[in-house]
Amino acid sequence: METLEPYSQESERNSKPETENPSTSSVSPSAPPPASVLRLWRPAAQRNVRNQWSKMASYRQQWNLASSSGRSHATSLVNSYLSQRYLPSMELGVLNDMPDIREKASFKLVKQQEHHQSKLLSAYKDMVAAVNYMVNTSRSMRCFLKGPSSSPLVQFSSYSEDVNDTGDGGGMPVFSFSPIAAFEKLAEELVQMFELELNLKRLLVIELLSISCETPQVNGFCWSDELYPGEFDDLSMCNLYSKENHQLVTPRLKDCNSAMHALPVQHNHQPNQEILQVYLTTWLAEVNVDTHSPYQWGYRRQTLQGYMQREFLKRLWKT
Amino acid sequence: MEGIVKKYQQKFKKIKEEMNRWDELQSRLISQFKNASSIIERLQILQDAKHYGNLNSIGGIEAAVLRKQMESLQTILLSMQKTLEEFRGIVLSLEKFHRDGKQLVRGGSNQLTVKQLQQRVGLKPTLADCLDGLMILWDMHNSEYVLKISLVSTLSTLAVKPWYMEITFDLGALQQLLVDQPNIPKEEVQYISEIIFAEEIC
Repeated sequence: METLEPYSQESERNSKPETENPSTSSVSPSAPPPASVLRLWRPAAQRNVRNQWSKMASYRQQWNLASSSGRSHATSLVNSYLSQRYLPSMELGVLNDMPDIREKASFKLVKQQEHHQSKLLSAYKDMVAAVNYMVNTSRSMRCFLKGPSSSPLVQFSSYSEDVNDTGDGGGMPVFSFSPIAAFEKLAEELVQMFELELNLKRLLVIELLSISCETPQVNGFCWSDELYPGEFDDLSMCNLYSKENHQLVTPRLKDCNSAMHALPVQHNHQPNQEILQVYLTTWLAEVNVDTHSPYQWGYRRQTLQGYMQREFLKRLWKT
Repeated sequence: MEGIVKKYQQKFKKIKEEMNRWDELQSRLISQFKNASSIIERLQILQDAKHYGNLNSIGGIEAAVLRKQMESLQTILLSMQKTLEEFRGIVLSLEKFHRDGKQLVRGGSNQLTVKQLQQRVGLKPTLADCLDGLMILWDMHNSEYVLKISLVSTLSTLAVKPWYMEITFDLGALQQLLVDQPNIPKEEVQYISEIIFAEEIC
């Protein structure tokens, strides 16, 4: 842990990864870069990993905002739908004398539902965007050498210019014994949680967009529909849509590889109150996400290395 | 004599702070209770696959949602226990005020007679008023604390055995009992404060 505090101060001071100690040897294909380059690589890599993880944490916040906005619109939608459904049997008292009161109320409720449905869809869109950012971030953990390592000025970038440069300092530990690959693995696990949850939410969105008191059904989606223009492009970026065979990934749960049942072709347009309550609860529960901490998963083993990683991630994950 | 009354009044001022803290805890406990009971009320629906509609196409969804909800419920119940601990802290300090108050008139050399205890100077409260007030306030909060413990433990029982609810319990009634705080009648608290601080009110 001591590596953290003093380091962050130091890395702020030298905000550019430059040096007066140019390396003269070139990077060989299999061997790690020369020690002199590695010594410079490490602070740059640390800075990058720290930045990427703090981005990750802010995308998680973005997800949380979108998810809770989606939940509140879903709740309002369900309430409005149920009011409309029970309108015919509702006791209206003195209002009964007003002409067409039930029709007017019903019309108003339909408008409300349309409003909440479009808000729900845009919340879903925001969640897709957040996951896309996470995917990109999880792939930006590496730190590559910029320009030839023999140049007098060693610089680093997030893009590989040399096929031999793997960007992980030859597997050298970045923070507390952990190489880049360890951080990538954690980020990948994290991203996967959100991808799974996004797909589950997609199913819920479709169900909620399909409810309606109107008969015959006018609106409504099915699973294979594109919910907004460009959705499939976005989904393919987060591994939920395959462009080759034009197929969406079917939703499943984390740690659950049990055989998928066929996805419903027919959507229930008028689910009962209990089903709607379960939908809302499922939205809230985020069953695929361990939001508390990334340090709970992956590295459960009680080793010094595991401990250091957990402690380190706790710091990065705090927002 | 007047000096002792003044000391009592200072104690009552501190008690007032404790009681404000009590109110904060009370509203925290109520919202925790509401959150917990809304989960408990859902548990039965969540245990029936037919309520999952098209979510049933996802293998294991029922168990996963249920597990997550139980986890949240456990978290809420734990934080309710912590809130109860803080209530206990207040009850303990009220008890201490009461004990120290008795010490003021009965301790060591300054043994006071009944007559002295009931002697009234102007609008100032008698020492007996002060002693009673300390005792009553401690007693009220203590009883209310005991009631809260049993309410929370009932709720915890329901969390493990939600089917009990249909037979015997009405969560709404439990919540009302929690909100009402029957052991701390507001008028009585007000009355005590009016006697102790009569001169400040006039």
